[in-house]
Amino acid sequence: MLRGKGWVAHVIAWGVCLGIWCEVCPVSRGDASLPEYQVKALFLLNFTKYVDWPPNAFAGSNTAITIGLYGESKLGEALKNVVAGKSVGGRAIVVRHLESADDSSQCHIVFISDSEAPRMREILNRASALPILTVGEDDLFAQNGGIINFVLKNGNVRLAIDLTAAKKAGLTISSRLLAVADVVKGKSN
Amino acid sequence: MIKKPPLQKLILSGAALAVVLTTTWADATDTNLPPQSSSDLGDLTLEQLVNVKVTSVAKEQTDLFTSPAAISVVTGDDIRRLGITSIPEALRMVPGMDVAQINGTEWAVSARGFNAQFGRDLLVLVDGRTVYTPSSSGVYWNSLDMVMEDLDRIEVIRGPGATLWGANAVNGVINIISKSAKDTQGLLISGSAGTVEQDITTMRYGGELATNLYYRVYAKRSDQDGLTTSAGKPAGDAWDSSQAGFRMDWEPPSQNVLTLQGDYYYSIAEIPSQIVSLAPPSILEFNGKEYNEGGNVLGRWTRDFSDSAQLTLQTYFDHVEEGTGNGFLIQNTYDIDLQFRFSLASWNDFVFGTGYRYQSVEDTPTFQLTWTPETQYLGLYNIFGQDDITVVPDRLHFVLGTKFEDNSLIQWKIEPNGRLLWTPTKSQTIWAAVSRATRTPSLFELNSRLNAAAFQPAPSGPPALVSIFGDPNNTAEDALDYELGYRVAPTRNLSFDITGFYDVYDHLLIAVPNPTVIETSPSPEHLLISSTYKNAGSGDTYGVELSGQWRVVENWRLAASYSWLGTQLTPVSAYAQSPQQQFQVRSYLDLPWHLELNGAIYVVGRSTGPVSTGYDEIPSYARADLGLVWDPRKWFEVGIWGENLLQSAHVEFSSQETHTLAEIPRSVLAKITLRF
Repeated sequence: MLRGKGWVAHVIAWGVCLGIWCEVCPVSRGDASLPEYQVKALFLLNFTKYVDWPPNAFAGSNTAITIGLYGESKLGEALKNVVAGKSVGGRAIVVRHLESADDSSQCHIVFISDSEAPRMREILNRASALPILTVGEDDLFAQNGGIINFVLKNGNVRLAIDLTAAKKAGLTISSRLLAVADVVKGKSN
Repeated sequence: MIKKPPLQKLILSGAALAVVLTTTWADATDTNLPPQSSSDLGDLTLEQLVNVKVTSVAKEQTDLFTSPAAISVVTGDDIRRLGITSIPEALRMVPGMDVAQINGTEWAVSARGFNAQFGRDLLVLVDGRTVYTPSSSGVYWNSLDMVMEDLDRIEVIRGPGATLWGANAVNGVINIISKSAKDTQGLLISGSAGTVEQDITTMRYGGELATNLYYRVYAKRSDQDGLTTSAGKPAGDAWDSSQAGFRMDWEPPSQNVLTLQGDYYYSIAEIPSQIVSLAPPSILEFNGKEYNEGGNVLGRWTRDFSDSAQLTLQTYFDHVEEGTGNGFLIQNTYDIDLQFRFSLASWNDFVFGTGYRYQSVEDTPTFQLTWTPETQYLGLYNIFGQDDITVVPDRLHFVLGTKFEDNSLIQWKIEPNGRLLWTPTKSQTIWAAVSRATRTPSLFELNSRLNAAAFQPAPSGPPALVSIFGDPNNTAEDALDYELGYRVAPTRNLSFDITGFYDVYDHLLIAVPNPTVIETSPSPEHLLISSTYKNAGSGDTYGVELSGQWRVVENWRLAASYSWLGTQLTPVSAYAQSPQQQFQVRSYLDLPWHLELNGAIYVVGRSTGPVSTGYDEIPSYARADLGLVWDPRKWFEVGIWGENLLQSAHVEFSSQETHTLAEIPRSVLAKITLRF
């Protein structure tokens, strides 16, 4: 049996010291825990910075980058908050909710939520030859021609990128984005 | 009683504080810190995003969801939240597992029946290394003193894992997987103390030796006080253990991964023991000391040849030494395994493998336990193959596999299995399996004589000796297993899993009584009341395992499971009885201010102790644990748990050697973890 309650006092004293220290020292929270949809929204913002579209994808040099979403209202709200007031290469970022499979042709990035999985193949077929970065979160996404897939691994959101599909869409993916991806299929240009 | 010197705690505190000071200073000059306020989330870089922990449930278990087997995973997060300090305690949350704490150092763990201290039908692997002693066909759980914070997950497959893991995986495989060195970088210091739980101090440091070459080293020290028996006497099960080890992983981007790891441990436990002799007093019960010492080294090389072909070569050496006042046992294991996975024609996924294991077991003979011969050598060859056939893409898979084993103890065995996997929709899985599995007899059941007890039937007559003999003619036990399972995830936040099984056993090794005779040697002349292990048992077991996970709201997750087990075995008297029903609920609640409130309730039905103790009745019990964890900073976490809150004490099992029924009392545990 542990002698007396000495260990309790010890733990409390330690805790207090550390508590004081925590407030004094500038160490921040660091790897915070965020909801999954928030992390995916942040990734979509980053994709606008690390993917190059062919010139014919934009009407003019000031045309906004459009991110279209199939399904997923929580991610949509988070995405709108994150892109507000930001611009990439002089272009603003606009978020739209899409309904029919044809709507994707107006977008530069299309995110297909897994709730839309039954329509995934149809949407990807329409988008495949167009300069659209297709992003999904379904196991079969890459098999159906999707370019970037979100994969949950050990509590983190990771990326699986298909360069063959990217090349077909005329897109160039920065090596920095490729470096953080877990899986990269196909060869870059 | 074994006590930890208070000086150790002081040094630990001082060291931790010193580390806090220096790394804080380092951090202050580090420009790589992420932003502090949530409105700056948009400034998170790609590199930071891939490391953010997300709160999510169903999707993460995609691999498990479409697996044609009764598989569950205990994650590192489950272990952290519930304040779990040992492997057997982590297994309690697996549906269908029967985990009973015998005393401070020993557990009885099994699945689907046949629980006994040396639960003989489970295969336990630590990072690919078998933790199993052929002498008793069991696992010494108290020698598995791992750094719990560096455990990635524990995968448990209930039912035969024959094809991939071979003989003795009859009722399940427990795969304990530690994190790669790449994922355990930096300094970790943790200390925990409790009213009954072990005082544990752990230190681990991980770093990078060269590009893509990661390593970690650790040291851990535990000591635990003894429990008391239901009769109020000390159970004599205090325990003191030290363990240290390392792991190195080389993960260059060239599709090769090389891992090297090793551990060394030394522990002393007080174990309730007894000495049997023909001279009075016939049985002397005392609190003996048992020491366990061992070390192991394991190397593994994995090479990806393409997207779908992978080769794995693994080899390890394991040395185990155990000693008590009655003698000692030394066991050396050398093992090498090769596995090759590849796809053929897009509708076949093959796995082929082969391996060889060589073991030597040496045991000093005592009056109580003798082996013939004293040193045994075992050689085991295996070859296996498995094909995963895609019958209808994304809908129907048929898996066929078999393993051949040649074992120097018994003749070679063949273990085939077939599985069917049907995924009618994305959120439903139906699977079925038929497998054959075998269990090799332990050395105990083949070549030993155990003098279990002695007594004086009549004051003037000869003494009597109770003995159990092994028989070298014994063969392996057989099991034919039928399973059916269904998994459904009706929403993103809710999932269920139900498995039913029916096992037919034959050639079960049971102790068959022999006629009482008079034995003259050793003197004095005495009555010999003996039994011999024979393959004379058979019967069926059947049951259902049901589990569910529900994310109620964003910050609150519930997990529950229920299992029911029925057994019809002959002869009935030869078997202990596992609990017929078990139920558990776990709750994980994230609160504001970086607090977590986690709890678990376990309800276990009545059971009986093992045959050798005359079937001590263990009444059913309910157990509740509740804990609060606070992690205000990335590098600091403190937790406090109350365990066994419902009763002041309860019994879960009885010791095989003596009938002591140690009581597991209500307790409190506190733990601090620092990570830099």
